[in-house]
Amino acid sequence: MKFTETHEWIKEQNGIGTVGVTQYAQHELGDIVYVELPEVGKDIKSGDVAAVLESTKAAADVYAPISGTIVEVNKALLEASELVNKSPEGEGWIFKIRLSKPQELNSLLDLDAYQAKHS
Amino acid sequence: MSKTIFEKSQAEQHAYSLPRDASEFQQFVPEKTFLRQAPLNLPEVSEIDLTRHFCGLAKKNMGIDTNFYPLGSCTMKLNPRVNELCASLPGFTHTHPLAQEESIQGNLQIIHELIEILCRVCGMTAGSLLPNAGAQGEFVGMRMIAEYHRKQNDSLRDEVLIPDNAHGTNAATAAMCGFKTVTIRSDANGDLDLGHLKSLASNRTAALMLTNPNTLGIFSQAITEVAAIVHQAGGLLYYDGANLNPMLNVVRPGDMGFDVMHINLHKTFSTPHGGGGPGSGPVLCNAKLKEFLPLPRVEKKGDKYHIIWKDAASIGMIASFHGNFAIYLRAYLYAKLHGHYGLRRIAEQSVLNANYLKAHLKSLFSSPFPQFCMHEFVLQADNYLDKGIKALDIAKRLLDYGIHAPTIYFPLIIKECMLIEPTESESKATLDHFVEVMRIIVAEIQANPDLVRTAPHTMPVTRLDEVLAAKKPILKQ
Amino acid sequence: MDFISNQEPQNREMLRKIGIEDVQELFQAIPKNLRLQRPSHDDGISEYEGVQLMESLAAKNAFTHFDNYLGGGSYEHHVPALVAAICGKSEFLTAYTPYQPEASQGMLQIIFEFQSAICALTGLDASNASLYDGASACAEAVLMALRYQRERNKIIIMRSLHPHYRAVVEQYLASHAVELVEVPFLSDGRIDQKALMSALDEKTAAVIVSYPNFLGVIDDIKEVSSQAKKCGAFTIVSANPLAYGLYASAKELGADIAVGDCQPLGLPMQYGGPYAGYLACRQELIRQMPGRIVGETRDTQGRRGFVLTLQAREQHIRREKATSNICTNQALAALASLIAMLWYGKQGIPKLALTNYQRAAYLKFQLQKIPGITSLGDSTCFNEFAMRFSRPIPEVQSFFREQGIEPGLDLERFYPDLKNCLLIAVTETKSKDQLDKYIQAAKQL
Repeated sequence: MKFTETHEWIKEQNGIGTVGVTQYAQHELGDIVYVELPEVGKDIKSGDVAAVLESTKAAADVYAPISGTIVEVNKALLEASELVNKSPEGEGWIFKIRLSKPQELNSLLDLDAYQAKHS
Repeated sequence: MSKTIFEKSQAEQHAYSLPRDASEFQQFVPEKTFLRQAPLNLPEVSEIDLTRHFCGLAKKNMGIDTNFYPLGSCTMKLNPRVNELCASLPGFTHTHPLAQEESIQGNLQIIHELIEILCRVCGMTAGSLLPNAGAQGEFVGMRMIAEYHRKQNDSLRDEVLIPDNAHGTNAATAAMCGFKTVTIRSDANGDLDLGHLKSLASNRTAALMLTNPNTLGIFSQAITEVAAIVHQAGGLLYYDGANLNPMLNVVRPGDMGFDVMHINLHKTFSTPHGGGGPGSGPVLCNAKLKEFLPLPRVEKKGDKYHIIWKDAASIGMIASFHGNFAIYLRAYLYAKLHGHYGLRRIAEQSVLNANYLKAHLKSLFSSPFPQFCMHEFVLQADNYLDKGIKALDIAKRLLDYGIHAPTIYFPLIIKECMLIEPTESESKATLDHFVEVMRIIVAEIQANPDLVRTAPHTMPVTRLDEVLAAKKPILKQ
Repeated sequence: MDFISNQEPQNREMLRKIGIEDVQELFQAIPKNLRLQRPSHDDGISEYEGVQLMESLAAKNAFTHFDNYLGGGSYEHHVPALVAAICGKSEFLTAYTPYQPEASQGMLQIIFEFQSAICALTGLDASNASLYDGASACAEAVLMALRYQRERNKIIIMRSLHPHYRAVVEQYLASHAVELVEVPFLSDGRIDQKALMSALDEKTAAVIVSYPNFLGVIDDIKEVSSQAKKCGAFTIVSANPLAYGLYASAKELGADIAVGDCQPLGLPMQYGGPYAGYLACRQELIRQMPGRIVGETRDTQGRRGFVLTLQAREQHIRREKATSNICTNQALAALASLIAMLWYGKQGIPKLALTNYQRAAYLKFQLQKIPGITSLGDSTCFNEFAMRFSRPIPEVQSFFREQGIEPGLDLERFYPDLKNCLLIAVTETKSKDQLDKYIQAAKQL
């Protein structure tokens, strides 16, 4: 698993990356009431806004950690947005992306580096 | 459990009456294809039941007339009843916005004179009463700034500088006008970080949006220097008039170097908040921006007033007609009653009342800024976090004591923030009572924090589930 | 006069607590060269003189002495007495925005009921707490459509939309790269449906129509929306809410977003404001609705309560990414409108709408019989219609005014090609005697 400064995580397997937000992020946001998912098929660049997480007090942008094409979105979140809070790094994943530039993974943070910044 | 008016419907009951009909009207029936087929699901309620319903709802609501509202940044001063009396005169309510000039000279005189009064108070040259709220006033001001740069062939300027403690509308407005927001840090004294400003002001700067005193109640002494930095970089200065109350006839935004500004009449000039509106946000500007003011405008020639509907340089129209006439009508009377002498007294008393409260309350909470404040001040409730108590809890407990909570969590940069503004209206007894209540609540936090954490206990409802409301929105009956 | 409570005795004590001698010391932070001197002379006036002043200004408005037939987006209707009685109550008049819901259940429930009433009239799924006025509601609906239909940047607007509303839409779009295409009206005042069909394409985000249109005509909007749907464009209907008491609801018309001004229901003309814009939409679009929205929920004891909801999109949270910069709704004006909607109610609104229609139809019918006066066509109208005279309208207006009648709006001022055309509005406030007086005057022209 790799991390961004902006609290996203990505798990890559066979060229497809699953993306979500970290435990820290869901805690800061509070109860998530709505998730705005990206469009399947959309091309996206690293750093672009891919999704939006809405709580009662805030709306946070979820940024794409790497560039590529959206291949799947977690539709379960439309009915059960609380999954992001309950299992942010598991069932609460947000979207899957086919990497166009796998080398971008190298500039992301590993667990130790991320935790060092946000404990 | 409380019922909505829809749930009080009883078959065939009604309140209305209609003017006498005539048989000659009956022959006219509209074409069937256009007629409504779907049922109209409005309730059937008699006048007495309607009356009781709304009177019952009034009992579940706080207002300035009934409770003290130390809401920082909102200026909850008395809404004088004489304003209501005059605003309801048929000579005003019965005038149509497209009436010919000759038949509404009274209205035009009010518009013209009020702009003159506001310009004199603010050190500006011209203005418009069209914006229907402060946010709309901001929109107009920023549109005028955009037009100004466009006319100067300077459309490269796409950045607006905004302090980190600014009101959310500033950033939203800038975005609406196509600008990018660039945030300026505050320094340790709660003032604008001049060094940061200098590094950010450039040939991309369209404007700086500022309120002075700022949202922390602190007057930025270096304002003339701030203005010079921005003007030198070719940008303009926008003044958010939300905090004008302590400035009335003490210092003028125009003198400080601002080019354009808005006023919130529902704050500074006592027009009623009405539970969330209608407001009025006049825009004032100096000679640089005068030509861009929106339409329509009122001009005086001799002793007659005229309406200008067309002008090529103007940014155009921003409202259906003349703005919230019946609202700024109240502000006009308020200004005339006070005179410039009275407006100055408002400024001085509002600052005195605020500093008195601060002197008492700073021992109960953290006071991040020790210097004298203007009309409002910030306190932090973070020293009670160890008891599990946040600013929100204190705000809710105040309701049980019949006092509306102060503004909380704004500005966003101050932790567990409470922004308190008493206004000039309040008497010393009310202020003392507020202090006493805060002391009691602090004692409760020590002895029985749960009581505060689960407050309020005496309102029609306890804390409401906002997560549920946002997740499964029920927006109508 | 002023409304300041504290006097010398209290101020002395307060100064002592603060530890200063004079209030001026509190203003030291303000640079000397910027500080103004205190005014030496009290130029304020007493409450009595204030009332005298306002009454003398009101008396300068000769307009109130005429029988008024002006419309064009602001209409003279009876405002039920109950409206002022309720709106003048302290707890509503002087309340703040309901950000502390426990202390504001009254106002929150009122807004919830207002939203429900607007949904009842329009037939759509959700409404917000009101916007400034009809013009800004139109503009906000356009922005909403553009936000939702992200890849589309074309808006089709009818020439027969209120020209002021059009101007405000253009104002809001000033910094957006949007193509605004106008569809003309035919000689009888109806939309040119053929022109609309050729303008509609895959780039169109939305079409805006009005109901009735500025010339008082009821267009075939079902046709408009069905054409719009075919290429995935939204239909925005800007309507006089009273029209829904007689004519098809926005839902029946196939609209995606319904907007307009509540003024005809419960708000006096008051020289143009405050009014209250309304905005309602289909369920799918609710998260894109600008402005304040009230929702129902439960408290910790399971009791029903109301709160502001879907606030994450609003300016005080999203800041530069907000759906709009709107802060206020027109709360008290929306309350006035709600009371009027309830005072008329399920039975009264249709009857009110019908009598408006019939009185206008009566006048139109009688005027048409007069030589030199013709209607634009035989299109269906509501309570407003255009008539062509054989003389310039300023002359017509002068003549009528001498008889104590303000006969209508000169359409040439809005549409230069509509010469000698007068826009006449007739509401329930016009008795048969008054209408016959108008007809007599027209005969003498």
